Amino acid sequence: MNELATPARAVPAQAKPTPLDPITVEVIGSALASIVDETGETLVRASYSTNIKERRDCSTALFDREGRTLCQAEHIPIHLGSFIEFVPRLLAQHALADIAPGDVFIGNDAYEGGGTHLPDIVLAEPIFVDGALAAWTVNLAHHSDFADRGHAHIYQEGLRIPPIRLYRAGTLNQDVQDLILLNCQVPRERLSDLRAQMAANRVGVQRFQALCARYGVDVVLAAGEALLDYAERKMRAGIAALPDGRYAFEDVFDGLETTEPLPLKVTVTIAGETMALDFESPDQVRSPINMTMTALQATTYYMVKSVVDPTVLPNAGLARPLTIRARTGSVLNCAHPAAVDGRVQTCQRVADLILGALAQAVPDRVMACTNSACTVAVFAGSRESGPQQGKLWIYLETIGGGGGARAGADGLDGIHVHTTNTSNLPVEALELEYPLILARYELVDGSAGAGQYRGGMGLRRVYRATEDCWVKVDTSRVKSRSWGLQGGQAGGGGYFRLSPDTPPFDGSRGFLKRGDWLEVVSPGGGGFGAPGERSPDLDAQDVRDGITFADR
Amino acid sequence: MRNWRVGVDSGGTFTDICLIGEEDRAVQVWKVASTPDDPSRGIAEGVREAMGLYADAEDAPLTPVRFLGHGTTVATNALIQHRGARVGLITTEGFRDLLEIGRQKRPSLYDIFAEKPLTLVPRALRFGVPERLLHDGSVETPLDEDAVREAALAMKADGVEAVAICFLYAFVDPRHEQRAREIVAGLLPDAFVCASHEIAPEFREFERLMTATVNAYLGPTMQRYISRLQDRLTGLGLAAAPHLTLSNGGVSSFDGAAQAPVRTVLSGPSTGVVAAEAIGKQAGFADLITFDMGGTSSDVALMHGGKTRQANEATVHGYPIKAPMLDIHTVGAGGGSIARIDAGGFLKVGPESAGADPGPVCYGKGNREPTVTDANIVLQALNPTHILGGRMEIRRDLAEAAIRDMAERLGLGVMETAQGIISVVTANMARAIRVVSVQRGYDPRDYVLMAFGGAGPLHAVRLARELEIGTVLVPRSPGTLCALGLLLTDLQSSFATTQLMPMHAASLPAIETALATVAAQAEDWFKAEGIGPDTRRVRLMVDMRYEGQNYELSVPVPPGPVDADMIAALIAGFEAEHTRMYGFTAEGEQINAVTFRAEAVGLIEKASLPDAEPGDATSETAITGSREIWFPETGRFTASPIYDRDALKPGMSFSGPAVVEQMDATTLVPPGVDARIDRAGNIVMGLK
Repeated sequence: MNELATPARAVPAQAKPTPLDPITVEVIGSALASIVDETGETLVRASYSTNIKERRDCSTALFDREGRTLCQAEHIPIHLGSFIEFVPRLLAQHALADIAPGDVFIGNDAYEGGGTHLPDIVLAEPIFVDGALAAWTVNLAHHSDFADRGHAHIYQEGLRIPPIRLYRAGTLNQDVQDLILLNCQVPRERLSDLRAQMAANRVGVQRFQALCARYGVDVVLAAGEALLDYAERKMRAGIAALPDGRYAFEDVFDGLETTEPLPLKVTVTIAGETMALDFESPDQVRSPINMTMTALQATTYYMVKSVVDPTVLPNAGLARPLTIRARTGSVLNCAHPAAVDGRVQTCQRVADLILGALAQAVPDRVMACTNSACTVAVFAGSRESGPQQGKLWIYLETIGGGGGARAGADGLDGIHVHTTNTSNLPVEALELEYPLILARYELVDGSAGAGQYRGGMGLRRVYRATEDCWVKVDTSRVKSRSWGLQGGQAGGGGYFRLSPDTPPFDGSRGFLKRGDWLEVVSPGGGGFGAPGERSPDLDAQDVRDGITFADR
Repeated sequence: MRNWRVGVDSGGTFTDICLIGEEDRAVQVWKVASTPDDPSRGIAEGVREAMGLYADAEDAPLTPVRFLGHGTTVATNALIQHRGARVGLITTEGFRDLLEIGRQKRPSLYDIFAEKPLTLVPRALRFGVPERLLHDGSVETPLDEDAVREAALAMKADGVEAVAICFLYAFVDPRHEQRAREIVAGLLPDAFVCASHEIAPEFREFERLMTATVNAYLGPTMQRYISRLQDRLTGLGLAAAPHLTLSNGGVSSFDGAAQAPVRTVLSGPSTGVVAAEAIGKQAGFADLITFDMGGTSSDVALMHGGKTRQANEATVHGYPIKAPMLDIHTVGAGGGSIARIDAGGFLKVGPESAGADPGPVCYGKGNREPTVTDANIVLQALNPTHILGGRMEIRRDLAEAAIRDMAERLGLGVMETAQGIISVVTANMARAIRVVSVQRGYDPRDYVLMAFGGAGPLHAVRLARELEIGTVLVPRSPGTLCALGLLLTDLQSSFATTQLMPMHAASLPAIETALATVAAQAEDWFKAEGIGPDTRRVRLMVDMRYEGQNYELSVPVPPGPVDADMIAALIAGFEAEHTRMYGFTAEGEQINAVTFRAEAVGLIEKASLPDAEPGDATSETAITGSREIWFPETGRFTASPIYDRDALKPGMSFSGPAVVEQMDATTLVPPGVDARIDRAGNIVMGLK
């Protein structure tokens, strides 16, 4: 038994500078979790854009003075990537002594602001208690803007914002806001969502200050430290329980934004209570699928935690036993000026890559390859009629797909996997807001990977344009397939189709005329175990429910 | 002849009856075993017995009853145990999988093995039919009536008992749903049919679809139950219209509840919370955690400043439901919860329950799997020979044999295994309390634990210790608190109409019409319920939002005529609320009214709770005997005095180890716990 795996209760109180009983730590930990939940709820409820108010493509978190994650709301794992470097970058660019209550920092840049792609705009506000900086409340909203742009490098992808003040001591920096809004296609939505982000941080400041008033700022900060240590201890104990060894796994990335499949490889080395992950990938490409190091970190933390121990608190402590290496300038650790807008496709593949390696160590604690994509459809245009006539509009949505079959259970059908977890937009909201009609939304027959336990089914969405619009579709597994485990079969691929008279798209991009339709199909998940081993009961149920499997 | 008011709470294991004579408003309680195969039998029998006992009413014993209120777990149990009807679904073509897809989020962010809740309609019984409305109510594709007929006939051939119908935009214009409903009702005259516009006429198709589906899933069970119960009560001479409690603590007529069982999923527990509010107020505790432990489940709620949180939508047993309800969290842990050793060799308790029939092993009705109650019998925390005030015989030998078998497989002693079952179920309940307290930012240590339900007082101190709660309150009649709650709640109902309109002068006629509509619905309800003009209270509300937002804020309508001043006052109210919630107002943005509501309340005469000066008698006078109880604190059987609950008077105090017995519950006072009786007759326990 290793020392670090000893539970908190066994640590003698005098060994810690501020002795805290485990119940107090737990209560404060739950209070922090409840603060980020409440700030998240505030952001959603006060927002205007469909991407936030219904699809909940946003995250909230609390950070300590030094910028370490104290607690992240359970929204979107990849958003952690934008969070983890934001406060450290901000502190590198702004003198601590100049930071005052009511300052609000804004930023989105992948190279100067720790972001993972430009639409994810972060707002961070310092929390002062008794005149001193105690913590940060930070939130991120995916502003569905910057559409119909190029992706050869980041300068084409939108406005780059380093961590700068949007508010100084409570007063709006109007010049900065005007500059940002002029570079956005739907400024009214941007302004309204920024206000919602402000409202969320305001709740975060108030709740954290109230918590400090109750327990004392020292106790709250000490509890924060204890929670980081606790997450680290649990992570180490979890890794120690995995068999030591080196586990390598290879796959390719292929999508609508790449011409050639890109080989990806991970080597996971488990040694005692630590885990190292070495990633190999080609040189960064002139395409939006490159990942920054923070995106790679967020993806790895998510996947390793899910397999090692899903109950580990989502704070900075869990990263301590992990080492992540990838060559700078490669697809998985890109450098300026690589384009990054569609990095989520690659993140999904990396998560499955890690699963494939860990399947060799703990075959009963993993699932087969998920649909391994975050299928996206973006529509943009200029309103042809109605009260918004002449105004630009942009609608982005992400579409779930099949989950991988689990050791002992079928994969989940039609869900978001891995680093993303956004809601769909209700049809009744979509059609009210945009000149689109959704004709079908269903599970895809023939998409599940066969197996003793089958993979999850992909999703189909069929849109009909009621006004002319520009469209971009992004998905993955267009040539390769999501692999099965232990004899399970591969799932079906991702693709899109157009109405017969619609001119073909240029790769992922094209135009729909009024009345044209677009069908988007997300991939299915891989199966687990040989199909011949499937129980007769499940077979009969498949037949009754009309479920068919992907062709080999 | 004296008039009576009667509250009946029917749980999975026991049926509790509470009576109040309208003259002296004194409370009487009675308890009988539930009859899960047909709960109405136990209810009718129990009410007959109770009226015979306390009201001397023999022939037509319910004739003098002026009000009968009833809380039931029929709906919630059917949902938890997946024992609802076989349901077919008719929906817009292309959307039949929406019921499974939901909002496309996975059930757990990090847990790979988490499952979605069971889909209530199998894929083969989900039919998409050609039809389509657009968001403005215009018809894009007319309803294909032949397709509806085909679907209905296929469902008929399959033997479905209930049909849910949900079309896109039915909340804007229900005509396609109404026509489909007629066709289905014509072809399946015996089926329960629920169209989404009837149960949740609100935007967001998935949540509306789910609410309609759950309603259909519960409908046949609820209708059969209510019709049987009505017949039995009428047969006993009941002339007044009986009422059923809803999830928000209000009550509805039997007919209303039979059409909308989805609004009763928290019927049982909500009445307990209403009673706890009243008792807590009287005892001087405004901050309470209620812990209602029955035979099959435990319900917990947090009351801060004397009020329990309300919600208009909640996820109940995994299903999102649009209906007003109290913020109550339920966990499958009760006296009847079955203990098993899982595949990994760990001891697990619940959520499966032995219910009332066959019940725990100690009932001697054939069950061989030990339950939480069996563990308490073996530990002798519960009377090992008889329960229910001596009316029901107990077989401790059978319970011990069952636990001994389990102990041998675990390699533990019999008593340690029995105590282990208690520890595991306590941890399950503590997790439920963390959901309503720490997860919402409340520290349970600041709250008093109020324990009720048949099994609550037995487990309360163990649970309080787990959560470091310092004070436990056990009311005078903990086993029948929900029944009492039925006599403490006002009649309530709410009415709503969703009509999107901008808040400016041009909308005045439409605003006036919308408010008049809901106010008239409230008036009709008052008349139907026989509520006198003096006791009627109506509150009008408007839910508003900025154009572009999707979540509304509710603002009360000021008194006076519907004019420009009222609109100004509503806008000011909205802006104030928006500032309070979010810290800003969006100047220049249009404000829209979305939903107009009337909350109607009919005030009733409440039961009066006793309040006595403390006497000076010692608690010794209340001791009726002694029992050897096994406590983990002593690690052996320890002689413990038995106190008679009826003999414990305000001002008395005593210390554990002790046990307090009464007809409807047993309170365990472990070593190291002090107990006193307050002015209202509650037991207040202090933990060191």
